[in-house]
Amino acid sequence: MSRSLKQVAVLLVALLCLDPHSRVSSAPICTHGPSGCHVPSLADLFDRVIQHSARMHSVSNDLHSEFEQYFLPSKNHIGKIYRKCHTSNILTPNGKENAQKLAREELTEVILKLLMAWRDPLFQLHQSMADQQDFNSFSSNKALEMGDMAHELRKGVEKVAEKMRVLGMLGNSVTGLSAAEAMLPLSESGEAMSDYELLYCFRRDSNKVQNYLKILKCRIVPEHDC
Amino acid sequence: MAYSLSLSLLYLGLLCGNGLVSARGSELFTADPSRGPHFMGCRSREQETFRCWWSAGTFQNLTEPGALRVFYKTKKALSEWQECPDYTRTVENECYFNKTYTQIWTSYCVQLRSVPQNITYDEACFTVENIVHPDPPVGLNWTLLNVSRSGLHFDVLVRWAPPPSADVQMGWMSLVYQVHYRVRNASHWEMLDLESGTQQSIYGLHTDKEYEVRVRCKMLAFDNFGEFSNSIIVHVAQIPSKESMFPTTLVLIFGVIGVVILLVLLIFSQQQKLMVIFLPPIPAPKIRGIDPELLKNGKLDQLHSLLSSQDMYKPDFYHEDPWVEFIQLDLDDPAEKNESSDTQHLLGLSRSDSSHFLNFKSDNESGRASPKPVDLPLVSRSSSSISDLGIQQTSEVEETPIQTQPTVPSWVNMDFYAQVSDFTAAGGVVLSPGQLNSPPVKKKEEENEKKIQFQLVSDGAYTSENTARLLSADMPPSPGPEQGYQAFSTQDIEGNLWNVEYLVSANDSQTPCLVPEAPPAPILPPVSDYTVVQEVDAQHSLLLNPPPSQPVICPHSPNKHLSAMPTMPMGYLTPELLGNLNP
Repeated sequence: MSRSLKQVAVLLVALLCLDPHSRVSSAPICTHGPSGCHVPSLADLFDRVIQHSARMHSVSNDLHSEFEQYFLPSKNHIGKIYRKCHTSNILTPNGKENAQKLAREELTEVILKLLMAWRDPLFQLHQSMADQQDFNSFSSNKALEMGDMAHELRKGVEKVAEKMRVLGMLGNSVTGLSAAEAMLPLSESGEAMSDYELLYCFRRDSNKVQNYLKILKCRIVPEHDC
Repeated sequence: MAYSLSLSLLYLGLLCGNGLVSARGSELFTADPSRGPHFMGCRSREQETFRCWWSAGTFQNLTEPGALRVFYKTKKALSEWQECPDYTRTVENECYFNKTYTQIWTSYCVQLRSVPQNITYDEACFTVENIVHPDPPVGLNWTLLNVSRSGLHFDVLVRWAPPPSADVQMGWMSLVYQVHYRVRNASHWEMLDLESGTQQSIYGLHTDKEYEVRVRCKMLAFDNFGEFSNSIIVHVAQIPSKESMFPTTLVLIFGVIGVVILLVLLIFSQQQKLMVIFLPPIPAPKIRGIDPELLKNGKLDQLHSLLSSQDMYKPDFYHEDPWVEFIQLDLDDPAEKNESSDTQHLLGLSRSDSSHFLNFKSDNESGRASPKPVDLPLVSRSSSSISDLGIQQTSEVEETPIQTQPTVPSWVNMDFYAQVSDFTAAGGVVLSPGQLNSPPVKKKEEENEKKIQFQLVSDGAYTSENTARLLSADMPPSPGPEQGYQAFSTQDIEGNLWNVEYLVSANDSQTPCLVPEAPPAPILPPVSDYTVVQEVDAQHSLLLNPPPSQPVICPHSPNKHLSAMPTMPMGYLTPELLGNLNP
């Protein structure tokens, strides 16, 4: 009896203490309002993200051309052509109209998927480039920078998606990407992709991300002749 | 069968190996005639469609349309070789892939086949974004930014528009541009940096040169440039520089002319000085104020007047030096004397040389240097007293005491006195000549008497004319004619003026008394030359008494004569006596 009374007392105290107001919830520092904080608009967010993706694509292009120039002079494209990237499984619109026809949510999801798929492979790329003696420090630093940019871009796109969801532009069909999307970059034959193949694939995917973001922006943020 | 299959496979592999076109093989537009049928290139203009071109090559039998066919395949699962969706009718050997058949980020492979023989002559694999060659920009124009100050260089701003086929607004294609320019008909093009905007400035162009400007673009982060736009001509005419040169030459010319004129003016204005510097004149003797020509010609009258106007004749000197007690009497050698008397000299009747004056001058310093205390009734007179009267007396008079028998001086012929006859308007004194025809003895006696009767004047100098005028104003006119003198005018002033100097003898002079030793000479007319010095005023000038109307019998002895003076002691006046006289 005393035990049960103690439990009840503890429960009561717990209930009393559990003031709903005392619960800590994460709230943004900048609440809605013009005073104090400058809350960037959705258009600004998109501009930042698009600029970031363009820069990422540029870095990937530089690395790829450098790789091609110094390490593959023979231009042996047979092998290259027939290799598949690990992100080929992700269904991505292959044209402008296809991308325009796609729903916003799906487009956003594709972008996030792509970015998520490259989180680990880029880290691996940097590791392998740093280990090999053939690459100079400049190239390996570029690979590291590329990996960081991909990570930041993903975070940015997530923020944009959140904002869109808040503004009601996106439905709730966009699911949080979990660790299930992380894929191992394996070729058809099961071998690990070489650095060159990784660079080739990432260059293509970064261009995809850039274009998808532009199309998404054009559809969400009303602009002239978009 | 297996042998043919392997052979065909081998042949295919060889073909594939040989005929591979790079992923960016869009430069191959020139048909290679040495080769067989091959792809010349595949290009996309806007990343939405693409085309492929091929050539038959040396195989002339395959030139007819339809002999060679293009098959493509995308790198996707379960894809097959498909034939070209559209053989362009207008263009020969072109395969066009429209939007439907174009997939970005997808690998394509195209094959050039001859279907009847089932031979694949060529194959090319690529991805569409890698074969994008954007169209050239449109609307290229330029505006002048500025022209340099020298007018030799100018800057322009070049503007263009993106190609209309590229969808840059949505951002499907991000284009960057490159501007080239060169001097017209030059061989080398100047390249500027990639520009993401649609305008760029070109700096440092030369005026008077024609420039060719063109622009091309490519996708950002891709390597394929599109075709160049049409060239535009940029030309700025040079501002004629003669205008800027013209003023400077004018300024130079005027400056030089001005400097020359200044120099000429300077030379002409300073001509005298320059002449002096270059040709100095020979110095000639010169007396200030006196014309050397006058000295040469020897006109004595003018010279006399000139010399008389000099400062040495001014009677102001004795004002400053009141204690010159003696009137120096010059005693010249008779040999040196001329026959004419001094009076005549004074009156200007005779022409004498300038030696008298020179002698006279020489005694000035001696007379003024030391006023000697003299116990004798010497009358010494500074040379400055001579001013208008010009009486000369030699210094030998000092030697002779009064008591002694007056020796007949050698200058007996000389007239001591001159009667003032008239005054000029300017205040000058006109003298009348003395009695020349008097007997020498009598004259001598008279002169002795006069000499004895000379009293020491206080300061031994004549007063100034002003003072004399003042004094004379108080004096009644002296009556009677003088005895020793001829022309005794009735004017008051002259006689009184003359009498200024003589103290005691004034009364006596008017009396016809004579020295006892002297023979009784006819009574001389009362000479109003002498008067009694009443007093000395503050200016150290003598104030005289009017002469008595009646002649008084002079005492026999000069001592008595002297003592008979009620007011004045006979004899010379010492400074102490003078001090007693002062009020």
